[in-house]
Amino acid sequence: MSKIKQFVQQSWLLIVASFFFGLLIAVTDAGLSPRIEQNKVNKRNRLVGALLPEARNFVALDTEIQIESAGGKTEKVEVFKAQSESGQCVGWSFNASGSGFADKIELVVAVDAKFEKIAGFAVLSSNETPGFGDQIKGDYYRSQYKGAPAGELKLVSIGDPKQIDSKIVAITGATVSSEAVVEIVSYFVTQIKEQMQKKGIIGNVQQQAS
Amino acid sequence: MSNSRQAKPALYSQTLLAGLWRENPTLRLLLGMCPTLAVTAAVKPALTMGCCVIFVLLCSNIIVSLMRDLLKPHVRILMFTLTIATFVTIADLILKAFQPEMSETLGPYVPLIIVNCIIICRAEACASKNGLVISIIDAVGMGVGFTLTLCVLASIRELLATGAVFEIQVLPLARDGGWFVQWAAMGMPVGAFITLGLMLGLVNIVTGKKT
Amino acid sequence: MDTLNILLMGFISVVLINNLVFTKFLGICPYLGVSGRIDMAFGMGMAVTFVVTLSGTLTWMIDHWVLMKLGLEVTRYVCFILVIAGAVQLVEMYMRKFFPSLYDSFGIFLPLITTNCAILGLCLFLTLWGIESLLDAAVRSFGAGIGFTMAICIMAGIRENLNLADVPACLQGAPITLITAGLLSLAFMGFAGMIR
Repeated sequence: MSKIKQFVQQSWLLIVASFFFGLLIAVTDAGLSPRIEQNKVNKRNRLVGALLPEARNFVALDTEIQIESAGGKTEKVEVFKAQSESGQCVGWSFNASGSGFADKIELVVAVDAKFEKIAGFAVLSSNETPGFGDQIKGDYYRSQYKGAPAGELKLVSIGDPKQIDSKIVAITGATVSSEAVVEIVSYFVTQIKEQMQKKGIIGNVQQQAS
Repeated sequence: MSNSRQAKPALYSQTLLAGLWRENPTLRLLLGMCPTLAVTAAVKPALTMGCCVIFVLLCSNIIVSLMRDLLKPHVRILMFTLTIATFVTIADLILKAFQPEMSETLGPYVPLIIVNCIIICRAEACASKNGLVISIIDAVGMGVGFTLTLCVLASIRELLATGAVFEIQVLPLARDGGWFVQWAAMGMPVGAFITLGLMLGLVNIVTGKKT
Repeated sequence: MDTLNILLMGFISVVLINNLVFTKFLGICPYLGVSGRIDMAFGMGMAVTFVVTLSGTLTWMIDHWVLMKLGLEVTRYVCFILVIAGAVQLVEMYMRKFFPSLYDSFGIFLPLITTNCAILGLCLFLTLWGIESLLDAAVRSFGAGIGFTMAICIMAGIRENLNLADVPACLQGAPITLITAGLLSLAFMGFAGMIR
């Protein structure tokens, strides 16, 4: 009994403080977590909304889309249907990621309703070299994806960036970063398109308008 | 902090000013280097980090000062760590809720405030030995001193790396037709280390250090 | 074979490309203080490697098997730092009892390591990078320690030579160390892009 008493005597402050602090953290978390969740949703809406201007809200797909990641494992991808005010499908968006020059690059990609043309992409997070690979966030590079065919894209070192086709002109001095984004976008777009066609969500020839 | 019989206001102002220059945590005491280098690529993250540190320092100093008579020697450091970890978690949640982009830019460096030597050192050296008011003033002084250092370092780096300060373009970029060619190295680890090293050297000159 | 490949890539990535000291700015305080002599630097490095491997693995286990299962991620930071502090205490007690000579050479470093940002930083980066397997986490933690040891030994070697050079008085000590670290980080940037 005296051992327990000694233990309590030494550490009662610790135990009381732990309770108090735990309570404090729990209260703060409960109070702020709806706002934090809303921030995440807002961010996606803002980024994709810039790429698909008619979209008013985003609905996650019920069916699971699974693609094979680069390492050979299957991973689940969340695909969102962008709907206009009248409920019509105006496009699709999903997150795509892969390794870049420095660290992982995370993108959000938007495609049109028929999954035929890419509406564009936005960078969620990247750690590329400032001034060089960082320019994947810039207009010169990103504008080349707007309207590009939703399929395999190719990186070229010289070309006309204003011409919208499956060739993407690399950023001078940032070939690896440019190539990384081309690969990520091509890979995810082709894989997801295949999966969605298999599941009948998008038709091969006709389009479902809902 | 000396406990001599100084008049209260003089002691308070002395404590406050100490944190700002004479015992500036980063420039004189060489504490808290890791966030100094990591978040000073631009002024906005630096300011945000500074505010978080002030918040955590303040709360932790207050709690430790209130508890100071109850601390047994064995559990001191553990208590300090627990207190600091709690307030850093709260600060992180607040940041995620109200400034999500800054939270992402700062990334793992906000929870790293827990092991920021400044906070534990102030708790150990000041709050556990002094009353509430002195602890608060010390926290504010140290926090503001740290924030000022961060902001000065960040302004230099951001100005040279992007020509902008706090995202307001100051120098016209060559890319957009002006004359200023960006020093991309300033945005990278190299720039951080070298700028801080030169700043410390400058401080040594100003304070007349002779070794 | 594939697993081995992933592990090796992860190890090299943490040691060279994402070196904790030169790219993530972790572990600077002991770095500045201890890198005076190579033998001290190596001792510090080894102590850090030991602790970081242990903590990285432990915190990963707790994070994945307890915190995420129970939805208690908000207590992550508190749990991590307590685990690290506890691990350091345990290591210290264990070493003092069973390896007294080793304890003497590590000596004062062990308590300092708890506030070493590198340890907590690595545990947080493991969650940030989304490491899925325990073995991967263990290998990367070990790699982080090795990277730190390498960085600190290189720096110690340079500093031993700097003592003989004519450094201006205002730059002696911390400033010249930081400038040297900057140049080293520039050199390490050459490793970026090694792994695709």
